[in-house]
Amino acid sequence: MSNKKILIVDDDPDVRQGMYVRLKANHYVPIFAADGLTAMSEARKQEPDLIILDLGLPAGDGFVVMERFKSIPAVAVIPVIIVSARAGHGNRQRALNAGAKAFLEKPVDNDQLLAAIRNALGEPAPPSPAALPAAK
Amino acid sequence: MNKNLLRILLVEDNEGDARLLREMFRSEAPGSFELTHLLRMSDATVHLAKGSTDIVLLDMGLPDAHGLDTVRMAYAAAPTIPLIVISGLDDEALAAQAMKEGAQDYLIKGQIENRALPRALRHAIERHRMQAEADLVRTNKLQFKDEFLSHVSHELRSPLTAIYQFVTILLDRLAGELNPEQIEYLSIILRNTKQLQSMINDLLEVTRMQASKLKIDLQCISPSAAILDAVNTLRGAAEAKRITLTSSIADPLPPICADPTRLLQILIILLDNAIKFTPPDGIVNLHAGIFAEDPALLLLTVSDSGCGIAPDMTERIFDRLFQTAHPDVGGRNGLGLGLYICKDLVNRQGGRIWASASHGQGAVLSVVLPVFSLPNLIAPALKRERHTQGPVSVIVTETTSLTGYLSDTDRVEKGQGVRDILLGCLHSDMDILLPKMRSSAPTELFFILAITDNIGSAAIAKRIRERLQGSTVLQLAGLTAVVYHRSLPHIKRDVSESMKDFSDRVAAQLQDLMNDEISARKVIHVQ
Repeated sequence: MSNKKILIVDDDPDVRQGMYVRLKANHYVPIFAADGLTAMSEARKQEPDLIILDLGLPAGDGFVVMERFKSIPAVAVIPVIIVSARAGHGNRQRALNAGAKAFLEKPVDNDQLLAAIRNALGEPAPPSPAALPAAK
Repeated sequence: MNKNLLRILLVEDNEGDARLLREMFRSEAPGSFELTHLLRMSDATVHLAKGSTDIVLLDMGLPDAHGLDTVRMAYAAAPTIPLIVISGLDDEALAAQAMKEGAQDYLIKGQIENRALPRALRHAIERHRMQAEADLVRTNKLQFKDEFLSHVSHELRSPLTAIYQFVTILLDRLAGELNPEQIEYLSIILRNTKQLQSMINDLLEVTRMQASKLKIDLQCISPSAAILDAVNTLRGAAEAKRITLTSSIADPLPPICADPTRLLQILIILLDNAIKFTPPDGIVNLHAGIFAEDPALLLLTVSDSGCGIAPDMTERIFDRLFQTAHPDVGGRNGLGLGLYICKDLVNRQGGRIWASASHGQGAVLSVVLPVFSLPNLIAPALKRERHTQGPVSVIVTETTSLTGYLSDTDRVEKGQGVRDILLGCLHSDMDILLPKMRSSAPTELFFILAITDNIGSAAIAKRIRERLQGSTVLQLAGLTAVVYHRSLPHIKRDVSESMKDFSDRVAAQLQDLMNDEISARKVIHVQ
């Protein structure tokens, strides 16, 4: 299957772990960062295929981090999905304008998250949605 | 400048009355008053726009405005400046209405004592200042409450996310096999997590509503997509209670003027509600069709075979935090905000929602939303501008195709708010447009509708404003309605392309899109 590397940027360790288990079960390789600075260095070092970014981060919010990503050519090309609890109309528009591939509201439905990831990575949808028994 | 100088604008067309009023300031200290006297409303609004006025003395019978309209117009031109009405009519009801429209005081000509007028002015200004202060305190308090609610709701979402993630991880057997009892208990946790999530969403929605942060993006849409989406979203919930969920859609359905996301939200709330209050094995139906009483409205009804609504409850169910206690419906049903949100969303889109009493025979909730038409499109902006002058003119710019579309009487009926549709395409057409605009009524409100919100239409709006601002004939109310097609941002003019070629190309593409009648998107912004 995929084996694509996904950088999860979220300051909540529980949310990071939950995301880790879910992504791993879907054959992705999750890596982490808890703040903007670590996200920058991890993105540069590991060159992930996708970045999942929270907006409310310590030391510089997600928008600032996105801007910094853009300043490094190797990182600027990596697709970004925003996952945030602050899901007002303004933030959504701002994130999409800044180039985010998708804007998802916390808590994100698992199917929705996986679909957004596949879409951002240009992967085809799975042949049957019941590859894993989905909890509805 | 003298800090105590009171700059008064007197709007009065009767020279005799004006002289009498002027006389009343004679005995005041020199340099304490500066009186500007104007005869017409149109001049007054221009003067007020300069911002060099402390108080307005307004006669209610002017050559270009009459009665309460004078108050409305003066208030609209300068809502922060105190306003005193001077009238020949000793009419209590009229005085009360004038105060409601924004006047600070209502004085009757011939009954004003000499020294009383300057005093009345000072008092009006003081009252106005105190009121503004009280308003500010109130606004700050409300803002704090909104910020607090918004903050709390957001913060609740993070732990909720972790709970959702791990419950679904367990349920999906990502951490090993489960026995049936464990599955049942985890399903209960998941159900409650979702309930909590929907309550937090409702809370955020209400906070946004009250902080006026809720965005309604009216577009010309076909309602069928939202209907199908809503039914599909709720299918699972219905099946879980073995409820038959059906939809009946009249053919053809007209396009409506609504926000597609909000329409979907309305339908989901209504269906969710119906499913909640319908016992197992019941029926829930969503019907859409032209409203028999008024073909300019689309009627959407959600009916169910549940416990129905008592006659004395048909209004109350839309109240904030309303919760019903019905023996058929066990457990919790949320915060009691769903129908409250629903009503607000419907109202903001120019529609209406009501419930029909039918105790014991199921409930019927009906929503009407305006069918797409030019008058319906600009109605919310007219309401916001407190425009009461009757029909307005609409200037359509940018492309020949849409102008044709909008002026086609089969599609858009004039009247109902639209007096005239002035057509113009590009910058050069301004020379044709401006004389037409000048020949309109002096207080005419103009809308500029453009296909794209690009620099072209902004430039046209700017030019119109520049050309008409100083004019005593016409006022541009400072409103620009930009109508553009959802697919149009992709149409860009190539540098090498002539304006005519570009216009023809856009027109051709538009015609195709309009034939589909998919969507004309609208943004109204106050300049």
